[in-house]
Amino acid sequence: MSKKRLLIRLGTLVGVLLLAVLMYFVGREHTILVDDKSVGDYKALATVDVGVDKQKSMELAARDRDKFVVTSQSHSITIKFTDSNWNEQTITRKFKVPVGLDTVIISLPTLAANPDAPQADWLAEYIPPTVVVRQDTTSETVNTEDSFSF
Amino acid sequence: MKQQQKSSFKKFLRFLSDNTVTVLFVIICAVSIPLSGYSLTYLVSEIIVRMARDSFLIVSLLIPIMAGMGLNFGMTLGAMAAEIGLICICDWGVVGIPGIVLAAIISTPISILLGWWCGKILNLAKGREMVTSYIIGFFMNGIYQLVVLYCFGGIIPVRSSKLVLPRGYGIRNTVNLSGIRLKLDNLLAIRIGTISIPIGTFLIIAALCLFVLWFKKTKLGQDMRAVGQDMEVSRAAGIKVEHTRIISIIISTVLAGYGMIIYLQSMGTLNTYNSHTQVGMFSIAALLVGGASVSKANIRNVFLGVILFHLMFIVSPMAGKNLIGEAQLGEYFRVFVSYGVITLSLVLYELRKKRELGDEGAALAAGQKEEGK
Repeated sequence: MSKKRLLIRLGTLVGVLLLAVLMYFVGREHTILVDDKSVGDYKALATVDVGVDKQKSMELAARDRDKFVVTSQSHSITIKFTDSNWNEQTITRKFKVPVGLDTVIISLPTLAANPDAPQADWLAEYIPPTVVVRQDTTSETVNTEDSFSF
Repeated sequence: MKQQQKSSFKKFLRFLSDNTVTVLFVIICAVSIPLSGYSLTYLVSEIIVRMARDSFLIVSLLIPIMAGMGLNFGMTLGAMAAEIGLICICDWGVVGIPGIVLAAIISTPISILLGWWCGKILNLAKGREMVTSYIIGFFMNGIYQLVVLYCFGGIIPVRSSKLVLPRGYGIRNTVNLSGIRLKLDNLLAIRIGTISIPIGTFLIIAALCLFVLWFKKTKLGQDMRAVGQDMEVSRAAGIKVEHTRIISIIISTVLAGYGMIIYLQSMGTLNTYNSHTQVGMFSIAALLVGGASVSKANIRNVFLGVILFHLMFIVSPMAGKNLIGEAQLGEYFRVFVSYGVITLSLVLYELRKKRELGDEGAALAAGQKEEGK
């Protein structure tokens, strides 16, 4: 095999691998939980309008939690609320979801109180509460027979 | 005048015998459509969906036919590779067009490996490629089941509990492909009245058709055609016959994998253990209905086949129900017809080959007789 041909083949292989990695990052789906609950000194917002990227925004009341489903890593969040002085506030922040995480949670009161704080202050990995569950004893029969379901 | 009439009648008979299956399907469809009671708009809409869904799979059969390897029943190998790619992207949570591309990239090396292996075996079974590839499909199905049923969730880590069987390893019977469902079909889709036309999918199919046409004109394509016509002459001309045949099977298997991804993104559900089993049979039947034979097929056969075969699929259950009040008859009918079409085509192909040999023999005998005089 000539050197040129080998280089072309190696180049193609590397290109395809890079494309696969790019597709993984671009197409990875994440769930972003937006949480309007009091955290420490930060009180929950009475009502807050939240939007992620260009998705339809949603209104949350105090103690509410909802979700946005997004793909890829870089996103922006926009929150609109009325502060204690009755001034309309709009905060927009860009953030990155760590690629390995399925679900992250954003604390809206923390973000509203410290709009310039680092992402780690108001965005964290969501770890579902651990509950005792009974062992799944249901069984699923695997059907490996031919069928004509075309 | 009489002789002219006789010759045109002969031509008509020759046309009928060359296109028996297609003519038969046109007649079946012509009878079934009014019986089914479906509107023209509904039928057109359904045919467009099925053309987008199945054409890529069927085009993947053309290259082995060109190389004289007959109908590649081993395309199920590519379908299995595609399913493994789809299971991976579902587990990793990659959705949309990037998910489809990633599944295609994952399926490619598996398809190449399986295609190479299948080609090697088919080289050992020259002249019996179709039955061999059919059996290879069954064998590989066993290996696929072993991998998916025991290795996934065990040796190969699977994070999603939605994919794994309750026992902790093995993939469930059905995998929901909602993340990629219709993503390709809805890309650049246009709507004319109630009919949606998936332009994105059709563009990909058109690109594949152009690739096949271009490929025929390349050195490799010409080699394949030469090998398809006569292996010994090709070998004498310096063509690596075995190598060329293996490449044709690899290309077909890889394309079948991509076709399966397009097919499943349109369906939206993966039947983990069954989706691939009938793909080869139905794709081959559709191609044959379009007028192709074991040794000759083109792109026109693909589209005519998809239209006629799937038109029969759509109308036969309702026609059966309206005719005798039993929709199940249509279901049986379409399965029976699929196998029947393949059998009929193979029989007709053999008969035609014998007839051509007979004609050649008669012409030779007549020539010798002339020389003797």
